[in-house]
Amino acid sequence: MSAFNGMLALAVNGFRESRRNRVTVVVYLFAAILIFAATFALEMTVGTFERVMTDLGLGVISIITVVLTIFLGSGLIPREIERRTIFMIVSKPVARSSFVVGRLLGNLLTSFFVLVIMAVLLIGQMVVEGTPIRESLVVALIGIALEVLVLSCVSFAFAAGSSQFVSAVCCSGLYFLGHLSTDLYKFADRAKSPVLGFLGKVAYYVLPNLDRLDFKGRATYADPTPWSELGGSVVYAIGYSVVMIVIATAVFERRDFK
Amino acid sequence: MAAAIQTEQLSKTYSVGFPVRKKVLALQGLDLKVEEGEIYGLLGPNGAGKSTTIKLTLNLIRPTSGSVKVFGLDPSEPKARAQIGFLPENPAPYEYLTGVEFVTLAAQLVGVPSGELKSRVSEVVEKVGMGTAAALQIRRYSKGMIQRISLAQALVGRPKLLILDEPTSGLDVLGRQLIRDVIVEERKKGTAVLFCSHIIPDVEALCDRVALVIGGKNIRTGTVSSLIESDSNQVELVIDGAVAALDEKLRPHVKQLDRLSERVVVRCEESATNTVLKVLLEANARVVKLQRTKFTLEELFIKAVKESGQAVGSSMS
Repeated sequence: MSAFNGMLALAVNGFRESRRNRVTVVVYLFAAILIFAATFALEMTVGTFERVMTDLGLGVISIITVVLTIFLGSGLIPREIERRTIFMIVSKPVARSSFVVGRLLGNLLTSFFVLVIMAVLLIGQMVVEGTPIRESLVVALIGIALEVLVLSCVSFAFAAGSSQFVSAVCCSGLYFLGHLSTDLYKFADRAKSPVLGFLGKVAYYVLPNLDRLDFKGRATYADPTPWSELGGSVVYAIGYSVVMIVIATAVFERRDFK
Repeated sequence: MAAAIQTEQLSKTYSVGFPVRKKVLALQGLDLKVEEGEIYGLLGPNGAGKSTTIKLTLNLIRPTSGSVKVFGLDPSEPKARAQIGFLPENPAPYEYLTGVEFVTLAAQLVGVPSGELKSRVSEVVEKVGMGTAAALQIRRYSKGMIQRISLAQALVGRPKLLILDEPTSGLDVLGRQLIRDVIVEERKKGTAVLFCSHIIPDVEALCDRVALVIGGKNIRTGTVSSLIESDSNQVELVIDGAVAALDEKLRPHVKQLDRLSERVVVRCEESATNTVLKVLLEANARVVKLQRTKFTLEELFIKAVKESGQAVGSSMS
């Protein structure tokens, strides 16, 4: 059997399982929040409806996908090990790396599916309200998708070698630090102690720079993002994710399933 | 021809505890050989190393020292694992998939060609008696149904080696019978079966050979009958019409004396047989039966555990 077929089977079934599990509930919840928020915004704002709608919509989409991604990514492997489901899968002639990548792809499919549903709801709502759909909104949605990709891979890297709790805490911490990475660099640049400066710069390069993937602010003010900048962010997100996948598979390959 | 499973001086040490790490010897130089087409039973108390042996055979854990081969191959090679079907103890399949979806996933992972997927899945689902229930999500299954669908996923790749860890535990009579039938049917096809169970009558009824694993070591191996006989160094005599006065003369030479209405049953060491016979013949008693004492596998198991100094049912780790 080719490794690709095994990965594909795991990805498809992972997506199928998550879809039946809790994802639909999250989407319905978002739809309810969105409709409520739109009505609320219409009542409360004068002339800035487009800005509030974009800001609120992207904010909710971002929060829901990030929470969902960390929850799914941190829990999947530890839960399979704890329930011993993994015994029936890893004992098959499938490489452990294929298992990790297959399950990761399943998670990504789930997160992207939720993201697309929510994006369609937001755009639909804006169309109904007569708000123009700008390029900056699409760029911001692509940024959220890239953030989902990076966070999924980071959570798998932690989950491959630790418990669900540890993985979720570390991944959440990295999410917040990742959004502070530009400040961290500035702090390192201005630090008087050369050691602090060096450590700050190391942290900047090691931590995921999620600021690079965040275009929500620009979407709110309809500021365009150059395609070259977006291209750079895509390359950065994919590169960082590949490194995380390599770490996840290396850790998982060495793991004993007691 | 390579054995289905062969272990040589297989050892596994776990490090447990935090912050102080403690070493636990789960296996200590285990030698085992499971031939093709035989049903091989692994017997031992909790923590004896049975599950560790199985996990090493499936590459779920790696040995600290020694080796394990599956049809001559290292279990880390996918080619080796492609020949194995595994049913773990208390299986927990993906609960949001249906039975059919889970068995199909297992079939895809063992490389069943896509053209054969549907027929192969239906075949094993029918074999384990799931029928239409296989279309339900697994979270709605009873324990027996989970066991059956997990057995189906183990069989779907038509394995040459079937590893079953406590396959009948928690099942009703029909479920146990079904699993026993499947095991016998697989043996007829030439499949080797490694059968690990606490239910000794099942082991006794099904296994061609049995290994007693205690404290991470293979204490005894052999056919059930050879194990039972080899362990017996006692003789049992049945005496007809023995008067009560004879009891006192016999007691110094026998280990056990039971008076059952007309008959007396005595057990003595094999070395004391002639002495006991002499006493009986002098008293004109009629010996109607003389045979080597037969233990059940269960008696043998308990005796072996006691000899090893480990409490029955205790855990090492």
